[in-house]
Amino acid sequence: MVFADLFFLYAFLPACLLAYFLCKKLKHKNLVLIIFSLIFYAWGEPLCVFLLVFSAWFNWSVGKYIGKHRKEKQSKTAVAVGVIVDIALLIIFKYTGFLVENFNFFFHTQIPVPQIGLPIGISFFTFQAISYVIDCYWETVEPQKSFRKFLLYLSLFPQLIAGPIVRYSVVEEQISKRKSTAADISEGSMRMIIGLAKKVIIANNLYAIVTQFFGNDISSLSVLGTWYTVVAYSLYVYFDFSGYSDMAIGLGRIFGFRFDENFNYPFICKTISEFWQRWHISLSSFFRDYLFYAPVFGRPRKYFNLFLVWFCTGMWHGAEWNFIFWGLYFGIFIFIETKIGKKRMKKWPKVLTHIYSKLIIIIGFGIFYFTDLGQLGQFFLNISGISMLTNGSALADAVTWSSLVNNVFLLAFAILVSMPVLPKIKHFFFEWGNNKVYLTGKMLATALCMFLLIMSSILLVDSTNNPFLYFRF
Amino acid sequence: MENKSASKASSASPQASQGKKPFNKIKRSQIRHFSSVLSILIMLPVFAFMVIFNWVFPRSDVSYIEKRKLAEFPSFSFETYFNGAFTGGVNQWFTDTAPYRDDFKTAGNGFKSLFGIKTENTVTIIGPATVVDKNKKPSHPQNSKPATGKTESSSGSSSDTPSENSTAEESSNDSRDYTQEDAEYTVENGIAVVNQDNHWRALELFGGGSGNIYVAALNDLRSQLDSSIKMYSMIAPLASEYYTPANYAGFTANQKEFFDDIASRLDSGITTVDIDSVLAQHTTENIYLRTDHHWTSLGAYYAAQTFAEAAGVEFKDLSTYTKNTINGFVGTMYAFSGGDIRIKNDPEDFDYYVPENYDQVTAYYYDTSFNYDWSGNFFLGVGDPQSNAYLTFMGGDEQIVKVKTGVKNGRKLLVVKDSYGNAEIGYYFGSFEEIYVVDMRYFNLNLVDFIENKNVTDVLFTMVTYSAFGDNADNLPNLIAQAKGETIVDGAEE
Repeated sequence: MVFADLFFLYAFLPACLLAYFLCKKLKHKNLVLIIFSLIFYAWGEPLCVFLLVFSAWFNWSVGKYIGKHRKEKQSKTAVAVGVIVDIALLIIFKYTGFLVENFNFFFHTQIPVPQIGLPIGISFFTFQAISYVIDCYWETVEPQKSFRKFLLYLSLFPQLIAGPIVRYSVVEEQISKRKSTAADISEGSMRMIIGLAKKVIIANNLYAIVTQFFGNDISSLSVLGTWYTVVAYSLYVYFDFSGYSDMAIGLGRIFGFRFDENFNYPFICKTISEFWQRWHISLSSFFRDYLFYAPVFGRPRKYFNLFLVWFCTGMWHGAEWNFIFWGLYFGIFIFIETKIGKKRMKKWPKVLTHIYSKLIIIIGFGIFYFTDLGQLGQFFLNISGISMLTNGSALADAVTWSSLVNNVFLLAFAILVSMPVLPKIKHFFFEWGNNKVYLTGKMLATALCMFLLIMSSILLVDSTNNPFLYFRF
Repeated sequence: MENKSASKASSASPQASQGKKPFNKIKRSQIRHFSSVLSILIMLPVFAFMVIFNWVFPRSDVSYIEKRKLAEFPSFSFETYFNGAFTGGVNQWFTDTAPYRDDFKTAGNGFKSLFGIKTENTVTIIGPATVVDKNKKPSHPQNSKPATGKTESSSGSSSDTPSENSTAEESSNDSRDYTQEDAEYTVENGIAVVNQDNHWRALELFGGGSGNIYVAALNDLRSQLDSSIKMYSMIAPLASEYYTPANYAGFTANQKEFFDDIASRLDSGITTVDIDSVLAQHTTENIYLRTDHHWTSLGAYYAAQTFAEAAGVEFKDLSTYTKNTINGFVGTMYAFSGGDIRIKNDPEDFDYYVPENYDQVTAYYYDTSFNYDWSGNFFLGVGDPQSNAYLTFMGGDEQIVKVKTGVKNGRKLLVVKDSYGNAEIGYYFGSFEEIYVVDMRYFNLNLVDFIENKNVTDVLFTMVTYSAFGDNADNLPNLIAQAKGETIVDGAEE
């Protein structure tokens, strides 16, 4: 199940909220959340729900074992076993096909490629589990004694299938002690609705542009058409993913959980390093804390670890070469930036750093999009204008122009909202203004959210759109 | 949630308890709490209403806009549960059958129209469209570049028209050959929405195609039929042939060139009926539906007239027909343009013409394997005529129809058609004794056997460009090869 779905919004969620808020004791509330989370997961993965429960049980056991053997050799073995098993599960379920295909390709073998379906959200919950066992070993968290509570942490449906990667340390206390205040419920609901609108109103309609131009063979696409589409795609990924994170954070908030922010207006960055401090923060901080600064292969070697981190970041996004290229591509620019030095880059004109970083990011999303390497090559020909020589492509074309004119407000709005405009408005109403201004702001926000909820729901009706030319009753 | 917020609300009632204190002096935390409760009290009923709306209001079962039955609630079994079909089906069902689905779709499309500028001077292109190389004439398959883009231009050996393999008339590298790209050009390919004479018109664009299958099938049929049986090929152009604005002409091919190319390759025993140039003389009249992918009855009339002349049969003037009109028609292009609200908001009149001798006419309806079903009217009343008016002609395509007209001239017509043909049939009621209407996509008998068995004297292939050059044509060879020698029994004659 996904959040941007009418059945989730008007069947699953109300049932869950009703059951949750009817319970008085936190113990029962937690039980409600576990049951609904498992139903939520089983809805999309009827079989792999057992994998989720196993992963929870296994990592909980490892944590408990580490807790028992603090400062002893066994704890080191236990954390190693825990991490290795977690990564092994991830590799088996996510990368087997990719590894076998490439083995066949490089060694000219004919090993049959196994068809293993990727369990939804495995990349997210496995990373949460890894962070937990390592934190237990580092003694930054107390191992959880109750399996039920640990299962709640790992399976909690708001963040289960698309992040953010919530660290155990963040919710450790909230699992056993939390309250949903009126502010939590109201602000959480609004956050959730804003996330829904980002996904349904902005992202889905941007994606229509992307499929119109990148959906078919792109060799006849014009140069400006390619630029136009890759910009739309960059915005799409941001609104889709950050919208999902907003929904997760908002839903968590309704239940009294406070997750860390996952996006912080990434497109206002001036360098690539800054971009990654603002984009999918829970993932980049995971790699920073557990891979970059961690002595995984003996003592940390700065540049080796840097490229290892970016290889893994790319790989994490999917079992395709383009994702690995995408990660390493960012690794190269971050390497260059560290060589130049932060201080020196700060002295550069702002316009220049903005243009530089946006160019790299937007072209990066092109690499992210094209899993077909042939098409990726064509993308580079198009975007560089070389296709005008090799394919005789046009610089611009009327279809692009027609699409741009038809979506100009959507794009302008998307660009505006991808910049920190909302925090400025929030600051005016909720911090700068007096009580009357505060109340007015709150009522305006409520009205806006209701409009967004209704409009998103109406647009979701169209998600099963499947017209026929001829009568099919 | 309801209990909670209700109790919160009663405990809050801030202004009353804060009574004398000026509002702006109240602590921020209290204001925050109070305003949160207030916002919950506003949001909760809205949310509750939407939940109730989804569960209590009658669910939709058909979509007239999309022309289909909506999803049904999935059946539960261990198998459907474990392969995900059940849970996925529930989500699908819930969204698909949302109450007032079609109305909400229209509302959503209205909202989406705010995403951009939609002035009367802009042409909107919906879906992928490729610039058509105007320098390339049809059927020059040299320097072909397959649509996948993975292989570079190869030698002429990839061509499927052997006659042209040896002639390397073109050698430039930047040219594309569209004769290799039949499959690419389906109706979803590109739709242009244009404004002409203050009305919106949706146009399906045509990228080209070889028509090889169409030519081969018709020639094959010709060789198998007795020479006394006359054969005709009449391909109707898409509206984009006449209504594409000059500045966007590059996105659609000149269909006449493709028709002429087909004509030149057809056996001399097949008469080509050129309606492209005939319709070209009537473009200011209402010959194509603006909101639908079909032509109008009037467009079909001019085509039928041209055919009747070619066949040498009597043909009644339009003035002898009774005109009927369905108002407020919005056809398929609304849904196919992704819900372009301008089309929805600009409905048109759908006319159809009933001939003088209609009281002597009986239509016999059979399934696609020629099992007799029922007989009666040719022009049928349809459910929701505002979106399905074109079904007035025989109610659709997936059937075989025989029409007895009362005319006694010994001429028996077989029409092999797509839905374009449906609008023509009524004009032949004064020209042929019997008419058999067969859809090129839905016919399970052997065409040669059928023609001989029914003593057909005239065989007319009539369809739109897309059918002759696209996927529909793939079925033509099957019609000639399938079910050979099977006995044909007419259930209506027993």
